[in-house]
Amino acid sequence: MIGLALDLLIIVSLIGLAIQSINAASLFRGILHFVVLGLAMSLAWARLDAPDLAMAEAAIGAGVTGALMMIAYRRLIEIQPDQESSLRPPPSRLAVPIALAAGALVGVIGLAAIQAEPMPALAGTAVLENLGSTGLGNPITGVLLLFRGFDTLLEITVLLAALLSAQAVTRQVDLDQSLTTQDPDTPLVGALLAIVVPLTVLVSVHLLKAGGQETGGAFQAGAVLAACGVLLVLTGRLGASRQYSPLVNTGLLVGLLSFILIGLAPLLWGQPLLALPGLWAIYWIESAMMISIALTLVLLFAGAGSLKRRDHG
Amino acid sequence: MTTEALALIVFLPLLAAAGAVVLPTAWLGLSIRVGLMPLPLLLLIPTLEVLENGAYRIALAGHSAPLGIAWQLDPLSLLMLWLNVGMTLLISLHANCSFRPGQPHAHRFWPLWLLLFAGMNALLLSADLFNIYVTLELVTLTAIGLIALEGKPPALRAAMRYLLLALLASLLYLLGVGLIYGQTGVLDLYLLAERLAPGWLSVTAIALMIVGLLIKAAIFPLHAWLPAAHGNAPGPVSAILSAMVVKVSIYLIWRLWFWGVPEWDLDRAALLLGVLGGMAIVYGSLAALVQQRLKLIIAYSTVAQLGYLLLLFPLASTLAFQAASYHLLSHGMAKAAMFLAAANILRSLGTDRLRHLAGIDQRLPLDVFALALGGVSIMGLPPSGGFLAKWLFLEAAWSARAWSWLILIALGGLLAAAYLFRVLAVVCLHPRRRGNHRHLKRTPDTASLAAMLLAVGAIIAGFTSAPILDLVEAGLPPGLPR
Repeated sequence: MIGLALDLLIIVSLIGLAIQSINAASLFRGILHFVVLGLAMSLAWARLDAPDLAMAEAAIGAGVTGALMMIAYRRLIEIQPDQESSLRPPPSRLAVPIALAAGALVGVIGLAAIQAEPMPALAGTAVLENLGSTGLGNPITGVLLLFRGFDTLLEITVLLAALLSAQAVTRQVDLDQSLTTQDPDTPLVGALLAIVVPLTVLVSVHLLKAGGQETGGAFQAGAVLAACGVLLVLTGRLGASRQYSPLVNTGLLVGLLSFILIGLAPLLWGQPLLALPGLWAIYWIESAMMISIALTLVLLFAGAGSLKRRDHG
Repeated sequence: MTTEALALIVFLPLLAAAGAVVLPTAWLGLSIRVGLMPLPLLLLIPTLEVLENGAYRIALAGHSAPLGIAWQLDPLSLLMLWLNVGMTLLISLHANCSFRPGQPHAHRFWPLWLLLFAGMNALLLSADLFNIYVTLELVTLTAIGLIALEGKPPALRAAMRYLLLALLASLLYLLGVGLIYGQTGVLDLYLLAERLAPGWLSVTAIALMIVGLLIKAAIFPLHAWLPAAHGNAPGPVSAILSAMVVKVSIYLIWRLWFWGVPEWDLDRAALLLGVLGGMAIVYGSLAALVQQRLKLIIAYSTVAQLGYLLLLFPLASTLAFQAASYHLLSHGMAKAAMFLAAANILRSLGTDRLRHLAGIDQRLPLDVFALALGGVSIMGLPPSGGFLAKWLFLEAAWSARAWSWLILIALGGLLAAAYLFRVLAVVCLHPRRRGNHRHLKRTPDTASLAAMLLAVGAIIAGFTSAPILDLVEAGLPPGLPR
């Protein structure tokens, strides 16, 4: 009973927040509603017994995406300081027809899904049957790294492509200053960072390690680590840089390169392509991917090709 | 050997892209060469395998479907792979002039270019619906970055519009994949045939996927993003976009239609797709007739020519399949040649407005020749690949007694002749053609050579059809009428 009420509450708030984030009075309010929508969505995933998705949604859907939108919003008002109110585009004439069509689509799918009798989830059962022999406890990590590893490999390639595409359109203006929100020398900032940064690093490493047996994994860990990086950028400890940095580039690519090289290696001794040679390979690739994912997200946030350390007294 | 070769065909360009990101300028050229040059040799190994033993399947990570992801190489995907490798290599020859390592945008161009190449190779090999989604995302995102690369405002606007529509398309496709997995519990394209019965849910799923792919393929009336994107992108990018990127989406619709759900009764849907194709042919050609910029004419011509690829659905025969595959191949080469030639003209003239092109044939003879040869193939004049494809289409329509398609195909050829002769007339016959163009910038010879090679390829395709048509026939889905 309580469960049903909770579900209804989540559904109603999801729809309300979705309408609000499109239809808010200002762009800023729209972004806020979108972030809350991400959080409500992660609750929905949690209710659907998908804790991995819930965590990824909260960290990436609400957290990192929200931060990206906020930074984009700030650049917009820096470009057009006096036109803040005009940032909200007029509603399109297509809005209502599209909403109706989307609603009809959801209706059709929902009605059809209730009547349909799905066949047994062959792939899903096969995963659970095969998991035992791998030494992993988390079927999701099993799917992401062992059974369908090629998807994951291509996904981090997509992430790299997104970063490269974003860099391709970044204007050559110095964004260094505009990213720092606080005067970096405010006394409490240093103390705050001294607590928060080690804690987030700890949490992300825990998520990474936990991913083998329970909820967690490289994507969640990378997102948490990225949040830490975003904090360092905002407090002026890390700055955008156009200077070529071998260290940053290596970090950016270490996930993809590890996955490709460890995936190709089995061909040398007659094993199938991408058949990972043991648990150490999984943990190695996951750690490397965590670093690459976190770095990619921070670079997207900073709108830069590279980062450099900035010292403050 | 075949597995190793296929692995390298996907992973070598990926590694080279990583190299192009991380390596300093002095090493960039080497990295590009490693990622591109060995590919034709590598592709020979799977080619021999497929010619000898038919379709070749690999279970990645040793887990066969439904648990794992499979690659499947059959004659059709082999043909597409050859097209992709050949086009990318020839266009890279051109790109190496405008994006030579050390030039301003080179460091941004090459990683995206190599990722796009790898993404399309992976897409063509993949037999898994979700894996195909990831490869589609890779192809789309890199294409968007490449369009926006030089940062000119029209290109940025076009890239943004493309991004929004392509994301919508990806979501539609993904929704369809999700529904199919919920229904059948499998993701492998070749397991669908026996497990996916027509019903509300499965029809919705397939329709969503096809609509998503139609957006990505810029089929009328979902074409709105294409002319701006292809018309404003850098030359080599326009060439690969028109030659390959839009076509892989149509290739995927073919796969879904003829391999995924071959048992379904889809006559009415086939007719609808055919009508869309016909409208694309007429609308695209008419729009090309009124454009004032060379690259936009070529881009609208792509909108029109893509329509032919949809005529396969209502005609649905061996001949139609051969015609469509051959059209895909020869249009790819001809269109790439035209875009590269247009890029050279744009580069040396500073503009591609039609009225400034009068008399340019005297100064840039090679580029104008490539443009004209490409045009010959697009119009379907003999002896060219385009002629052969249109001829096969006519034959297919004739033997199916489909007179309206017959008329449409003939009309499409006439319209193509109209918009292309309009260009050639301005270039070669305009009265203002003397004393013009004193201040042309020189284009590098390799850039013209690349355009010329592709154009000659499109013509030669008119003579070397037999092995390719045999290959297409060998890879046909079961149960297709002659």
